Formats: sequence, structure tokens, C-alpha cells
Amino acid sequence: MEETELMALWKSYDRKLEQNLVLNRKNTEDITRMKIGSLLGSMKPVKLFTIIIGILWIAFVDTIIIATWSYASPFFLVSAIIQVLLTKAAIVVYAYQIILIYQTDISESLLKTQERIARLQSSTIQITRILFLQFPVWTTFYISDALIKNGGVTFYLIQGVVTAVLTFLAWWFFTNIKFENRDKNWFRLIFAGKEWEPTIHAMDLLGEIEGYKLVK
Amino acid sequence: MPLTRDAPTFLAVMEANKGIIYKVANAYCRDPENRKDLIQEIVIQLWLGFPKYDEQFRITTWMYRIALNVSISFYRKENVREKINAPLRPDIMDLTEDIGTPEPDSDIGTLHRFIRELREFDRAIILLYLEENSQQEIAEILGITSTNVSTKISRIKEQLKQKFQALKS
Repeated sequence: MEETELMALWKSYDRKLEQNLVLNRKNTEDITRMKIGSLLGSMKPVKLFTIIIGILWIAFVDTIIIATWSYASPFFLVSAIIQVLLTKAAIVVYAYQIILIYQTDISESLLKTQERIARLQSSTIQITRILFLQFPVWTTFYISDALIKNGGVTFYLIQGVVTAVLTFLAWWFFTNIKFENRDKNWFRLIFAGKEWEPTIHAMDLLGEIEGYKLVK
Repeated sequence: MPLTRDAPTFLAVMEANKGIIYKVANAYCRDPENRKDLIQEIVIQLWLGFPKYDEQFRITTWMYRIALNVSISFYRKENVREKINAPLRPDIMDLTEDIGTPEPDSDIGTLHRFIRELREFDRAIILLYLEENSQQEIAEILGITSTNVSTKISRIKEQLKQKFQALKS
């Protein structure tokens, strides 16, 4: 199809559309009268739920740390402190990203706005990286003085291997979960599922934006 | 004369440019029900942004920017206002006859399909081009150079041409 045919085709569609499209004034007026919900009100419930659960978890672990400070095993205390600090970091980053996304000025140019939103969305991946770092502490929090004294070689061997493997995995995920690896199979496998679709889509969009920046 | 930022002026602007909203929503959202939601979201964002509209840009440039930004974000199902305090009837626009979703086999239906198959920014460019916006306007809406726009338009037109040719052969 030649350019002139393309334009003529679009124009004929446009004419039909203009003749038949009716703006529902009543419903549009309703929009100008309504009160727009606050950020909190407009957020997806699942996001609010995630933040609330995160805060409750932090409060729970903090309470246990304070309550057992004088007598708990150092392994438990150190593991719990590391876990709760990582969760706090993740929650702060998550909440900050959501606020920035909602505050984005959408009357700015397409590339600028979409790059900002897509970068913020794709940085949700950063939260996952942070959370992966807590892997090893889930293998150390239960170690008590008694276990150290009476565990024996088998305990030390199994404990050592499990902690070492999870430490390696935590470090590997932390260093490899990044934008550049988004097309790798293992990456797509980890971030499969509906809840990750917007993030993965945002990453693909960033790829498209990069392509646009390269054309001069 | 500066534009008054009240509801009647906003309604007049919407009335005069309703086609922009519909065509952008149609390019990014195939499903009629989701499209109604998208149109509603665009109109809400236009109303919210109306007091801040910068008159150094044409009103259509401002509208395209918001409509396209909302559509691209909506497409990612992320930046959508899920809950609105006052419940709304979503049909902001009606078609007196069903020409919004043309027959899939017709030329215009095929063109719509090919446009929807393009990546987000390419889709925006060809839509703005078909709407006869100048390269300078397209550049302003997208935030890229006119030269970049020109290169992109040529490539997308070539893509569309090849797709039509492949279809005919």
C-alpha cells in the first residue's frame, strides 16, 4: 500500500469517526465534579497489602529482637537484625518508587515520562535483589549455643554446606539480577507470572527507548 | 487570550478534540471494555492536568502527550487509577454506529491491526503521522529530534508497506 493510499484510508476512517463519535457530556461533566482519590486511595490494593504486611513483619521481628536481646543466641540476633534491616530497606525502596511513579508528570514528552516510569517500575527488580541477600540468615537464626556444643560433625557439615550454598546463591542473584540479563532464560523463569508482567514490560520498553536515543 | 481553566472550557476542548482521545485509546487497547476504562482514565488525567496546561504548546500537543502517556502506562497495567472516590459510568464516548472496531478483513481493519502490532513508540509516531501532525509537533510530543522522527516514519511506513504486500501476495 502506497503512502497516498494509506493517508486516504486513514482519512476516510477519520471522517466516519468524527461523524459518529459522540462525547457524553453528562459523564464528562461528572469527571470535572468528582473528587479524585488520594495516592493511598488510588493505589492497587495488592501494593498497599504488601507494604502493610512488610511493616507488620518488621514490627514483629523488631519486637522479638528487643524482647529476647538479653538472652537470645547471638546467631539468632544477628540473623534477625540482618533480615529485618533488609526488609526495611526493601519496604522503603518499594514505597518510594510507588510515590515517584504516581507523582510523574504525564504531560511531559512521551520518551521522558515513559523512561521515568519504566525505570522506576523496572527497579522493582532491585527490591528482589535486596531480598535475595537474606537467604543465608534463614539457615543461621536457629543455631543455639547448645547446638554448637553438641551438634557434632554431621551438623557442622550439613550446616556449613547449606549456609555456603545459600550464601553463594544470594550473592549470585544479587549480582546477576539486572537489566542487562533480562532476556536470559533463568531471568524470565524467576520473573514469570502476572505480577511481574508490568516490570518485564517496562524493561522491554526501556530497550525500545534506548533504541530511540541511538537514532540521531 | 489565555484559556480559562474551568469545567465548561474543558468540556469544549474535549468536544472539539474527542477524536484524539478515541483514536489513541483505540490504537493501544483492542478490547472494547478496557478501552472504555482507558478513555475514562485519559479524560480524568486531562482534567487533572488542565490547570497546569502550558499554553506555549498547542492544546492538541498537550492532549496527545497525556493520552499517549496514559495509554502506554495503562497498557502496562501499572499506573492505572484503580479506585476512584466517586463511581463513574465509564462510557465517556459513544459511537452512533459501530465503526470503532472495523471488520478485521477490511483495509482499515488490517491497518489497525498492523498499527497495534508495532512497538509502543512506533505506534505513537505512525498515529501522529496519519493524523497529519508535522514532524516538529511529533518531535515535541515524543521528546525526540525532528530528524529522528523523519527516520522513524520512513522505517515504519516501509514496515507497513511490506506487511500489506505480504498480505496481498
